[in-house]
Amino acid sequence: MPVMTYVQAVGRGLWEEMERDPAVLMIGEDIGVYGGAFKVTDGFLAHFGRERVIDTPISESAIVGAAVGMSYLGLRPVCELQFIDFIACCFNQITNFVAKSHYRWGAPVPMVIRGPAGGGVHGGPFHSQNPEMYFVHTPGLKVVCPSSAYDAKGLIKAAVRDNNPVLFFEHKFLYRRVKEEVPEDDYIVPLGQAAVRREGRDLTLVTYAAMVQVCLDAAEQLEKEDGLACEVIDLRTLLPLDKETILSSLRKTNKLLVVHEDTRTGGIAGEIAAMVMEEAFDQLDGPLMRVTSLDTPVPYSPPLEEYFLPNAAKVVKAARDLARY
Amino acid sequence: MTVQSGKKPSATATKTNRRKMTQPRNNKGAGLSQAQLLEMYHLLLKCRLVDERARVLFRQGKFKGNHYSAVGQEAVTVGTLYGCQPSDWVGPSHRDMVAALVKGVPVKLIMAQLYACVDSPDRGKSTPAHFGSPEHNIITPASTIAAQWQLVTGVALGLKMQKREGICFAYAGDGATSTGAWHEAVNFAGVHKLGIIYVIQNNLWAESVPLRLQTAAKNLADKAVGYGMPGVVVDGMDLLAVHKAAQEAVRRARAGQGPTLIECKTYRWYGHSEIDPARYRSQEEVAAWKKRDPIPLFEKQLAELGISAGSVKKQFEDEINREIEEAVAAAEASPYPDPAEAWDHIYAE
Repeated sequence: MPVMTYVQAVGRGLWEEMERDPAVLMIGEDIGVYGGAFKVTDGFLAHFGRERVIDTPISESAIVGAAVGMSYLGLRPVCELQFIDFIACCFNQITNFVAKSHYRWGAPVPMVIRGPAGGGVHGGPFHSQNPEMYFVHTPGLKVVCPSSAYDAKGLIKAAVRDNNPVLFFEHKFLYRRVKEEVPEDDYIVPLGQAAVRREGRDLTLVTYAAMVQVCLDAAEQLEKEDGLACEVIDLRTLLPLDKETILSSLRKTNKLLVVHEDTRTGGIAGEIAAMVMEEAFDQLDGPLMRVTSLDTPVPYSPPLEEYFLPNAAKVVKAARDLARY
Repeated sequence: MTVQSGKKPSATATKTNRRKMTQPRNNKGAGLSQAQLLEMYHLLLKCRLVDERARVLFRQGKFKGNHYSAVGQEAVTVGTLYGCQPSDWVGPSHRDMVAALVKGVPVKLIMAQLYACVDSPDRGKSTPAHFGSPEHNIITPASTIAAQWQLVTGVALGLKMQKREGICFAYAGDGATSTGAWHEAVNFAGVHKLGIIYVIQNNLWAESVPLRLQTAAKNLADKAVGYGMPGVVVDGMDLLAVHKAAQEAVRRARAGQGPTLIECKTYRWYGHSEIDPARYRSQEEVAAWKKRDPIPLFEKQLAELGISAGSVKKQFEDEINREIEEAVAAAEASPYPDPAEAWDHIYAE
């Protein structure tokens, strides 16, 4: 089995989908000769040609708008946003047109909008954000945030095949730090299914993307130093949310700590808290707790960014507090 | 390059739209047969009568939401779309409900949309102004103006890529030309030489904001220069002039020569919507433009070509009114969807 980085796995999944289905095409800035800012589409132009690997003007809104139009002809466009922060430039098209197209006139929009998200690489306020919750709040979209190379390939392939618009947030901190064996087979990881990354009975850590490894490190430390057995759930897809995996873990551990790199207010932790109140209040032996980034822009200076982001030490501290209930 | 054609609007019509039309009026029949000219006349009347009926229905409280009348602008709709093929696509604005009529949509479907009943193509999901029909290649409009210009850009790119037949028509008012979406779309289409006819219905008022506060450009079609495509200014009240300009754009689009930007100088008779009394305009301005009603203007042109509109007008109006009344009756008899249908169609299978 070949060893691949996370970023290579995304590219491999896209390549396989383009080979499999001539309706799949790539559209975005610098994705042609340059192969994309992070080289996800490196070599695509030479192999698939200009009509299926479309270098565009710097027009994020037109990229998404054009992709919608192409999807109406049965094509399956994959839009690359050079940094996912720039998704703000096409917010209108995504939330007002893409998300509502099928609802308003029955026209499905099979398209993917993908790009590098997240911090930890000192990219500063415009190259480090986690804007996923703007879109989790928008019915009609699907939102995917992979944490491993295996999932990155399987989820991007599922996203391309889905008949709905899928926003695919690749974590740039993981791009080249995650390296693992990835099958060459044509496999998919279904959207909307969380994964239990570590089993435990004492408390549940719910997380996604780059925070999965942070939570696994924290769980390891808690096991060794405190004898606490933490279950770690990787959501993988935020919309639709796999409520059942969260609730069944909660029924076992009765304590829930949500960890996300997104800022605190309006993050998925708040939504999970409300869902648990509605559906499993009597299962809680302690308050639902959260470890998140601060409610600030993502600061650039390294010590400031480290202060801003969650890390294993912050997770360990919160888990110890929760375990005391 | 900015080409001008058609007749100058009356000098008294407006101060903001005063300009020199250098080309002589040269639209005798525009190469159309008598049957085609009468078909256009029928469509012109149909757009007017359906729109006026919708206004009355709204004022009677027969449907909710709002109505954005295009009365006064019919020559733009009919002149650009007449002769389009079933494989062609239309990206209408919120004011282009009647564009669907020219594309062959029965009045019944449009009334069903207004009434938001179970027979509506979207089963009551979107507003009265947002008529779209995948089977007719009519993209549902968006309230975020100029969005449809970007979508049509993608459709044209896809058609080119798939080597399929069909070109695209996109509509927007003068105000939409100030949005970033508009510029991104037109620029993109210019780069890829896409088969699109971009039509600006310059009716001088973007809701209440006059053109002079919208742009410092002399003509909106001048913007085409920046995107490497022809920009054409045409008298939007002159059906044959509009059609002639559109046919040249259609020829270019079908021949793979790229998009054309056509600015039609026109006027909406009523407010931005039915709840807008349009007090920002002078009565003199409105009256001057009403004198340039595209329907009598076309009747005069027909007469010059030896065709008597008077002999068919009553028959056409009766036919159209019959279709309208049947459509209204059907919409009134049709129930609202079950409220729980609000959950349906958020996602495709």
